[in-house]
Amino acid sequence: MPRPHLYLLLALLAAFGVSYFSDRIDPYHLDVIIGIGINIILAVSLNLVNGYTGQFSLGHAGFMSVGAYAAAAVSLFLGPRLLGAEGGSTLQQSLMFLAALTAGGLGAALAGLGVGIPSLRLKGDYLALVTLGFGEIIRVIFQNVEFLGGALGLNGIPAYTSIFWVLAFVALAVFTVTCLVHSTYGRGFLATHDDEVAAEAVGLNTTRYKIVAFVIGAFFAGAAGGLYGHFKMTITPTGFDFTKSIEIVVMVILGGMGNTLGVILAAILLTLLPELLRPIAEYRMIIYSLLLIILMIARPQGLFNFKFGQVKL
Amino acid sequence: MSEFLQQLLNGLSLGAIYALIALGYTMVYGVLRFINFAHSDVFMVGAFIGYYMGKLVPENTVWGGLVVLIVAMLGCAVLGMLIEKLAYRPLRGAATLNVLITAIGVSLLLEYSGQVFFGATPRTFPAVFPSVNFSFGDLVISSNQVVVIVVATILMVALEFIVHRTKIGTAMRAVSLNPKAAQLVGINNDVVISFTFGLGSALAAAGGILYALNYPSIDPLMGVMPGLKAFVAAVLGGIGNIPGAALGGLLLGTVETFVNGSQWSTYKDAIAFAILIIILLFRPAGLLGKSSAEKV
Amino acid sequence: MAAVLQLTQATIKFGGLTAVNAVDFTVNENELCGLIGPNGAGKTTVFNLITGVYQPTAGTVIFAGQPLAGRRVNEIVECGIARTFQNIRLFGSLSVFDNVRVACNLHRGTAAIHSLIRLGAFRADETAITRRAEELLDIFNLLRFRDAPAKSLPYGEQRRLEIVRCLATKPKLLLLDEPAAGMNPTEKVELIRLIQQVQKQFGLSVLLVEHSMKVVMGVCSRIAVLDYGVKIAEGSPADIQSDPKVIEAYLGEDHQKSLSHH
Repeated sequence: MPRPHLYLLLALLAAFGVSYFSDRIDPYHLDVIIGIGINIILAVSLNLVNGYTGQFSLGHAGFMSVGAYAAAAVSLFLGPRLLGAEGGSTLQQSLMFLAALTAGGLGAALAGLGVGIPSLRLKGDYLALVTLGFGEIIRVIFQNVEFLGGALGLNGIPAYTSIFWVLAFVALAVFTVTCLVHSTYGRGFLATHDDEVAAEAVGLNTTRYKIVAFVIGAFFAGAAGGLYGHFKMTITPTGFDFTKSIEIVVMVILGGMGNTLGVILAAILLTLLPELLRPIAEYRMIIYSLLLIILMIARPQGLFNFKFGQVKL
Repeated sequence: MSEFLQQLLNGLSLGAIYALIALGYTMVYGVLRFINFAHSDVFMVGAFIGYYMGKLVPENTVWGGLVVLIVAMLGCAVLGMLIEKLAYRPLRGAATLNVLITAIGVSLLLEYSGQVFFGATPRTFPAVFPSVNFSFGDLVISSNQVVVIVVATILMVALEFIVHRTKIGTAMRAVSLNPKAAQLVGINNDVVISFTFGLGSALAAAGGILYALNYPSIDPLMGVMPGLKAFVAAVLGGIGNIPGAALGGLLLGTVETFVNGSQWSTYKDAIAFAILIIILLFRPAGLLGKSSAEKV
Repeated sequence: MAAVLQLTQATIKFGGLTAVNAVDFTVNENELCGLIGPNGAGKTTVFNLITGVYQPTAGTVIFAGQPLAGRRVNEIVECGIARTFQNIRLFGSLSVFDNVRVACNLHRGTAAIHSLIRLGAFRADETAITRRAEELLDIFNLLRFRDAPAKSLPYGEQRRLEIVRCLATKPKLLLLDEPAAGMNPTEKVELIRLIQQVQKQFGLSVLLVEHSMKVVMGVCSRIAVLDYGVKIAEGSPADIQSDPKVIEAYLGEDHQKSLSHH
């Protein structure tokens, strides 16, 4: 992809454009689009870890929660001090939000480092379980930290999330993952996935690749968490549990692991589906799980996997 | 001292339940090298079968309790074999990650179907066994705890017998050591694997009934936590190792009970995961397992 | 001639089994050496020892004057040793071109972060890498398969690709683990020519593990023979062929006895 920075700039301008006209869009649709955007960020970032690098992580929601809490903490605790009682101008609020999201991303990235480093020598099933374990430990920790709300979580988070921010971060996430993976350096992620022994034999530090994948994946999960928190205005530890991690994993699998476009489509589909299935909402998860089973038996490479020779599971 | 003994007793009782569930995980891992995520939900189905059966038998009788137990075990044995045939067998030979994801799918299917058909609100498990408390000084043992320990012990002894003294048990061990060679000596791997699932699921059902006796609130998601913890117990003991699963279960149950009684009780769920991570990092083969290296 | 690789009393024990037993062996600069022996003699284990997959239980491995003890596999590749595998290990999901390109990471000119920032230096680096990978593929007649998935290549081409990938890491010593396995006689002749060409063109030392006597005798200047982890003979192809210990190891004691009766 030549001149990716140009695409990024265009995407950001488009995001700005859409948000400019956002008051003409039905608020319900706007909410759905924001929900889709957050899920795309989660899915695309997990795809770097699971799909491209082949590290089966079941703890992505844990990173999302770290980001959500870190961002909310900045807005709730630092915000009033820096912006004053009236809340400051729009520009100041935007900068505050950017700082909050960055804090969320960095906090989650740090958590990613903490989870990634010990988990690295494990493969397949075991890695999946350790990451699940870490995700649960993070949840239990948040349930016990009183100044972050404990089991009741935080509320009253300012509603900074707008369609601009969501689309901007979607663009950033897709840009980062795509640029990374298609560079010579980034081919190393796929090589690590394909055959770790061979990758080491051509001089690649597979451990470092895995850590980098974890950290970058976690960063964007954290940013998504920050966007989520400032969208729903309230966050609880149980909202980021194992089930959430599974939902994101399903998007990655449905899209075809290691296929960014497919994963984006899958995220859109799987966010819209519950909305469309509202009448039969209680059957939604049953359909989800049947989908998963049938997919694995009939089409393990994913629904949107059109290229031959895609990264195998 | 008596408080220590009390906690120890409680811990062994909880641990025995974890051990029963852990045995199912470890046996399936032994023959198929895969972690059956849906096992924890078979545990839940067992408890629900027990709930409905419990309405058909008189309360507070030993024979009533035994009927409930046996029906649940049989029902789940069938369920386990059905799951294996429909969801896992088509993937025999596929990448382990594919099967793992399918297992997650089956697990979710059972959980959410349970929520739709049983309703998400918790129900109270009937007192199918007679409920009395025995006191030895400061020590209190409930009859349900006695039932747990007695039933768990009988089942584990029976399992040992099956695995080491019967033809099918030997076949199970053969398949877990070398599936191809097992086929070459005339073992029907499909039958053995089916049997393994059936056996493991029956044990999970027993675990479910015993758990519900002591913690009578049951709901479709009740299997998640105990299931994860039982899995940790299996890994702790050495995944694939039957005595290891029993040991792991007892250890984990005991540690968790002591933590629950201490000032860090709100972290008791995290303890199991912390143990999992520590074990996988420092001794992945578990306490009683053997490690193996990849040939380059 | 300067020694490029030196094994001194190299030993590897796995529990009770001694896979490699006090082996002394040297490869000199620009030399093409062979390592042969019956199945299970420990040849691949010696490779794994040199490349850092295993650490020696005893003895040392010295490469270009540096001891390799304690270094990780990828660090040893950085030192200048590259290897192929007995069962081809290509990156199946990557294209032929990408298989070589990813091996160019070792000598990349820009840091990893540049793949995101993408200034002029990055683009120049990527162009240079592309050119280098294409050149290498061209030398071995694989450029026409450039964008095909690596696993779709015919067997002989896959083996060639594995060697090309090694060359992308700019090695000083090339370890080839049974490169002729599964090849027909014509392909073997082609392989011999290829190895000689590679050695001359890139100024490498080569250590070859092979089963096929034809390949080994035709291309190596010096051969070492392993049996049950012990080096039982060393010398020129002619020496090895007539060495009684070697004959016994390959063909058994009865044959040796029948030979000595004549």
